[in-house]
Amino acid sequence: MGNGTWRIARARGGAHLPLVIVAALAVALILIGKAQSSLFDRARTNVVDWMRPALVATRAPIEGMSRWLGSIGEIFVVYQENLKLKEENARLRQWQNTAIVLNDRIKRYQLLLHAAPDPALSSVVARVIGRASHPFLQTMILDAGRQDGIKPGQAVVDQRGMIGRIFLTGERTSWVILLTDLNSRVPISIEPDTVQAIMAGDNTLEPAIEALSERIPLKPGAQVVSSGDGDILPAGIPIGIVVEDGGRYRVALFADQTTAQDVQILDFKQPLEHPPAASPKDLPVTAAGLPPVASPRVAAPPVLQPVVPAPQPVFKPASTPQNRNTPPADEEIDNDVPDTGNQ
Amino acid sequence: MERMGNLMWARMFGNIVPVLCGVLGVFISNLPFSILGDWLPSPLYALMPVYFWCLVRPDLMSPAWAFLIGVLHDVLSGGPPGICAASFVATYAVIDRQRDAFAGLPGLGALLGFATAALIASSASYVIFALYNWSLLPVSPYVKEFVVTAALYWPVLFALNWIHRNFVGPLRSEMF
Repeated sequence: MGNGTWRIARARGGAHLPLVIVAALAVALILIGKAQSSLFDRARTNVVDWMRPALVATRAPIEGMSRWLGSIGEIFVVYQENLKLKEENARLRQWQNTAIVLNDRIKRYQLLLHAAPDPALSSVVARVIGRASHPFLQTMILDAGRQDGIKPGQAVVDQRGMIGRIFLTGERTSWVILLTDLNSRVPISIEPDTVQAIMAGDNTLEPAIEALSERIPLKPGAQVVSSGDGDILPAGIPIGIVVEDGGRYRVALFADQTTAQDVQILDFKQPLEHPPAASPKDLPVTAAGLPPVASPRVAAPPVLQPVVPAPQPVFKPASTPQNRNTPPADEEIDNDVPDTGNQ
Repeated sequence: MERMGNLMWARMFGNIVPVLCGVLGVFISNLPFSILGDWLPSPLYALMPVYFWCLVRPDLMSPAWAFLIGVLHDVLSGGPPGICAASFVATYAVIDRQRDAFAGLPGLGALLGFATAALIASSASYVIFALYNWSLLPVSPYVKEFVVTAALYWPVLFALNWIHRNFVGPLRSEMF
């Protein structure tokens, strides 16, 4: 049945390359790819850019079928799902109010401490037009590239959390290395103690936590966010929660890589947003109608206050405008500025 | 004369159908959708036409085409270049040497024949990837890939038989 119904052709024609030469070409390709990966990457991005219309065209019917298949089972649980969502919505509204209040408080603290605010992240929304799920290969192709300002290293997130990061960009397409890929390494911070570690993909659904001191016990359920170390990714992107797996710690990811269709690419490398010079009106003492201890001199050079217990909040004058407002483009945040951690 | 022209076009189309099926297999393997989710890797759909036509029409599925289909698979999957191409060529070499044994397998034996080819492709891929990274990698992802590929050959085989019957056909010199 398999091929038994067909006669076996013997003729091959004389124009074909012999098997030995093709095998040698394959080996040469591997070696060249290992030595000059950028060469192959450029070819790859060009090919995928060229094939982009075909990939985009095949996406729509496949996504429709995927949704249709996925919705078959959901029909029977719509009512329960609706009740659950209503309850979740009410709970989230409470959390939203709490978050707004806390956000205001953080802003006020940042102002008091003259901390540089977290850089506002701009983002590009892109669609997934290709996905490789092969042994030791967990990648995605997105329909946004250099034309849209996408650069290698940028974080890719869906509405739940981080999915991966860009590792290759073409003119109109880009490649994402997923967090579960064997080659993925992401510096993470485990809340609430901000334990620093590395999350390493190993082709399982839950990447492993590595570079963690054995003396640090982790609590299953603790939230994992990106640490921002190495200036590779923005800090505070939600990634998942800690789970224990036979004495090892792993991360159960928030994002579902298999169902993500529309993702956001975060632009972290844009110039930092610098804090405005504080005015007396911004201070809580002034807002409360109390006179500030020191009269603010906005244009005065920075004066270091002695670290002594002060009876009242002391206003530290802002730095000179030259220092604060016109820094070099690639200036980094000073180390002594407290990192708020969260976006 | 017009009929001769049509026949010529039909033959030319028939000659590229095996390669087109291989390219289609590469596309399907890398689509942004998988019924199997993340539980199982995508099957090597591209290997199926390579195996099928390597047996029945090696003049249309030459080693060079197997290599190029593998290269396209490497390009679209985002993996290191040449790994899939080399594994396809290695599989082709084994099928080529044992063509009589593979092609003579009837019924379930034909499926086992392809399973052997899939095993060779997955094993070659594993060995090359391990050498590429110079580390011992877990075997389970490749076992999964092999199982999925071998299991899905049965339905794809019907499609390949139909395509071969309607578009490709046997080699003209061997029809009589």
